[in-house]
Amino acid sequence: MNFTNIKLIFGREIRDQIRDRRTLFMIAVLPVLFYPLLGFSFFQIAQFLQEEPSHVLVVGREDFNDLPALFASDGGFNSELFAEEKKAKLLKLDFWSLKPGPDGTPARPLSEADMRGMVETGKYEAVVYFPPDFAHKLEAYRLYLKDQVAGKWPANVPRPEVPSPVIICDNRQAKSQEAGARATVPLTAWSEDVSVATLKQSNVDPKPPVHVKRQFVDGRDEPNIDTSLWSKVLPFVLLIWAVTGAFYPAIDLCAGEKERGTLETLLSSPAQRGEIVMGKMMTVMVFSMVTAVLNLMSMGVTGFVVMKNLGPLPQMANVGPPPLASLFWLVLILIPVSALFSAVCLALAAFARSTKEGQYYLMPVILVTMPLILLPMAPSAQLNLGSSLIPVSGIVLLMRSTMEGTITNANQWPLIFPVLAVTFCCCWFAIRWAVDQFSSEAVLFREGERWDLSSWMRHLIRDRQPTPSVGMAVLCGVIILVLMFFYRFLVSPDPYGPQPDLEFFFKIVLVMQVAVVAAPAMIMAIMLTRDPARTLLLPIRSNFRSVIALPAAALLAVFFFPVIHNLAIVVQLLYPLRSPELEVFSKLIAQIQPGTRLFWLGWATIALAPAICEELAFRGFILSGLRHQGHKWRAIIFSAVMFGVAHGILQQSIISTVLGCVLGYLAIQSSGLWAGAAYHFTHNSLAYLTSLSAYKIHHSQFHWMQTEKWGASVFTWPVMLVALLFAGFILLLFSNFPYRRTHEEALQERIEHEAAHSLAG
Amino acid sequence: MIHVRELTKHYADLKRGRLVALSGISFDAMPGEVFGLLGPNGAGKTTALRILSTVLRPTTGTATINGFDVVTQPSQVRHQIGFVSASTAVYDRMTAWEMVEYFGRLYGIGNGQLHGRMEALFDRLQMNEFRDVLGGKMSTGMKQKVSIARSIIHDPPVVILDEATVGLDVLVARALLTTVAELREQGKCIIYSTHIMREAERLCDRVAIIHRGRVLATGTIDELRSEHSEPDLEDLFFKLILSGPEGAPPPRLTNSFS
Repeated sequence: MNFTNIKLIFGREIRDQIRDRRTLFMIAVLPVLFYPLLGFSFFQIAQFLQEEPSHVLVVGREDFNDLPALFASDGGFNSELFAEEKKAKLLKLDFWSLKPGPDGTPARPLSEADMRGMVETGKYEAVVYFPPDFAHKLEAYRLYLKDQVAGKWPANVPRPEVPSPVIICDNRQAKSQEAGARATVPLTAWSEDVSVATLKQSNVDPKPPVHVKRQFVDGRDEPNIDTSLWSKVLPFVLLIWAVTGAFYPAIDLCAGEKERGTLETLLSSPAQRGEIVMGKMMTVMVFSMVTAVLNLMSMGVTGFVVMKNLGPLPQMANVGPPPLASLFWLVLILIPVSALFSAVCLALAAFARSTKEGQYYLMPVILVTMPLILLPMAPSAQLNLGSSLIPVSGIVLLMRSTMEGTITNANQWPLIFPVLAVTFCCCWFAIRWAVDQFSSEAVLFREGERWDLSSWMRHLIRDRQPTPSVGMAVLCGVIILVLMFFYRFLVSPDPYGPQPDLEFFFKIVLVMQVAVVAAPAMIMAIMLTRDPARTLLLPIRSNFRSVIALPAAALLAVFFFPVIHNLAIVVQLLYPLRSPELEVFSKLIAQIQPGTRLFWLGWATIALAPAICEELAFRGFILSGLRHQGHKWRAIIFSAVMFGVAHGILQQSIISTVLGCVLGYLAIQSSGLWAGAAYHFTHNSLAYLTSLSAYKIHHSQFHWMQTEKWGASVFTWPVMLVALLFAGFILLLFSNFPYRRTHEEALQERIEHEAAHSLAG
Repeated sequence: MIHVRELTKHYADLKRGRLVALSGISFDAMPGEVFGLLGPNGAGKTTALRILSTVLRPTTGTATINGFDVVTQPSQVRHQIGFVSASTAVYDRMTAWEMVEYFGRLYGIGNGQLHGRMEALFDRLQMNEFRDVLGGKMSTGMKQKVSIARSIIHDPPVVILDEATVGLDVLVARALLTTVAELREQGKCIIYSTHIMREAERLCDRVAIIHRGRVLATGTIDELRSEHSEPDLEDLFFKLILSGPEGAPPPRLTNSFS
């Protein structure tokens, strides 16, 4: 790669973008102006956010002579019952007496239905209702308390009923709910005061025996709102704007260049595709970062001004600015994640023919990124080895940890490396994808054809090729995933009903394998390809290699089994997620007795059906299609990822992806389906049989094979090393098989050979 | 200099199925020669030139430029050619000077040499009056001059022009043809695609008449005239494309192209 060319392209693109008023406005001017204007509007709106008092009717007001005052003389609740005196003013009370007044005023009856009607019609936002016998009941209860303390209450006399005033409010109206909540505060406080006063009258110290005091390591008496607030808000703002900031430049640099016709000129220049992509990606990255940082700064300054001037929301006025040092680290961490977003946006934008089309393609980036950014915002989300391996989420957690200052802890700082490694890996894949997009004629010179279903269906059937295209392979994978989703939804048992038995579980899995996994691949192979047998890797003729491949693959599965088993336990440690349904079935499977009908049904379901059905779909149709990309390993990895995703549960998906790579390699090297099927069957059989209690290895006999570690039985290192050695020999055997290349793979190899030859020359 | 052998190119099209844009075309072009690709719109001229400029890959067949294969040695080929596409392809937010300088640098020309060449080119193509004008504000003629300047800034032995006079007024078109003739005098091999017969008659030393992805005839214009007994090139062109099986719709690919 020529760095001078990258620098040249980068410089040109930066200059080009700076001269584009629309991009400048979107990237820099808008964020700088947007937040102050938003702050200004906030002040205007804040007038409407003033807390309005609630109108509450008190029905059956009582006077309690020797008790703490519930009401003040000014006609409201006693202000001492509130944490803040001004809160008392937020309740405006009207009174309705149910008894004749001392001056002879007659009693005015009011039923509970009338009270509800008053709330429903909005006359009052809430009604506090003291039943007529409330004072009497309260007195009886206080007497009980006193006697109880003095030990005079007879054991055979039941405890008197606890008196309760009723607060009536309307759940449908927010204002009424608020009024009810407000009225609850003084009544609860008063109730506690009554208890305390009663105990005092009985000469009992009302102080609670235990007093809990919180201490914070930073020396504060109260939680630090600054840290917890900023550590959540800033990573979110930074990443959202980093994605948004990458949008417009990516579209302009790809789709815009296509529209102007300059892309063809650039492609015929000495700059290689990789150099063009790197130059453009760096430009997008700069704008992504500048947008994020400018937004952060503008938001920070505006937020500071707003909070300092906020009267109506005093609890927010105490929030201070974020620590400056952490801001520096935040911007540093932003670099790799901006690179990732830029490469992804660039690859997608390359597919677009126009800027308008580019906007459509980039919208899903936000939809995918949003949950990954929001996931770590949950208070329970922590930076650990498992979460550090999740793209984007790991970065957000790292940012949070940096802001909170916990990143310097001994168990936290080593996690910087996996987070950055995953981000750089994703970034590399995204760049490779973008380079491929820039090398694809179908992407660069796409004609603006009008798409309709009938034309497309005709095209699929009329222009059939011997094997499926990459698009068909992806479509098949998506169809299988969607069908699986709905199938699981249809057959999942009622969580509140009786648990289905194991036989039923095995049967639904068998049906799924045949109808949802194998059938779509076979139907697509028959309808959309001219050579279904070749597509599904079912060669009619057999030779010595195809025969020897079967036992070799089965033996490979045996030798790889300890590695996969230990890997599964490590994955379980990294992502300790639980599937209660699966745990129940695992326990049931463990109890299966060998030789029974259920035993054979279980074997067929867990080992035989996947070995045929999943191989037909993932190594047959999907891998055959993906190989038209021209890169064997890329096709293997893509098909393995699809195979992994189809397994649903994260831990299973990770292990299945690894297995998918081995299975894909076997399928290609042996140019047939059966080697992979033999491996798949052997592996699943081992997994099934070792999960049965009857076949559990007893440590006393085989202590050299397995040991207890991480709360599970794992294979020992000597076993692993020997197994890996033998597995290596078998893989070496497969690597020497002359496999059949696709047209694209052969061409790619020729280009790489020529390039290596010319470099050597 | 340029050797094209049995070049084919197939495209997939939703409505029409797999299309054959080029169906085994072959020709050679030599230094100091303007080789014309004559054909109506959709004949396959642009596809052929895009393959020669390494922007597209052929489905089958080979093409070499100065000994370098367009498929396996694209980087070396790109240093040998200057490509002027059918669209003027000028950056809207760059001046004429910046654009030529940018491509000069991409071709690896050093600072001192680059500015000397640029001054000479700007004088020769009379571009000085708009050297600081942004691409978005240039006329079509200005844009085409910039396109030619940036394609020959590295002094390539091969210049490929794809319908370079489309949209130009008579004066600018004539100036462009004069420039092409000058490039020929310098010993460059020029591939010039056009559907305008007069341009071909005036400029091309040899032509290949191409229609529906096939070469119908190759030779000097005089050779073609005498061979087909047609003194007028346009009549000759019509006679060729309307006679024979090539006048029928293009063949559709029904088997694998691997």
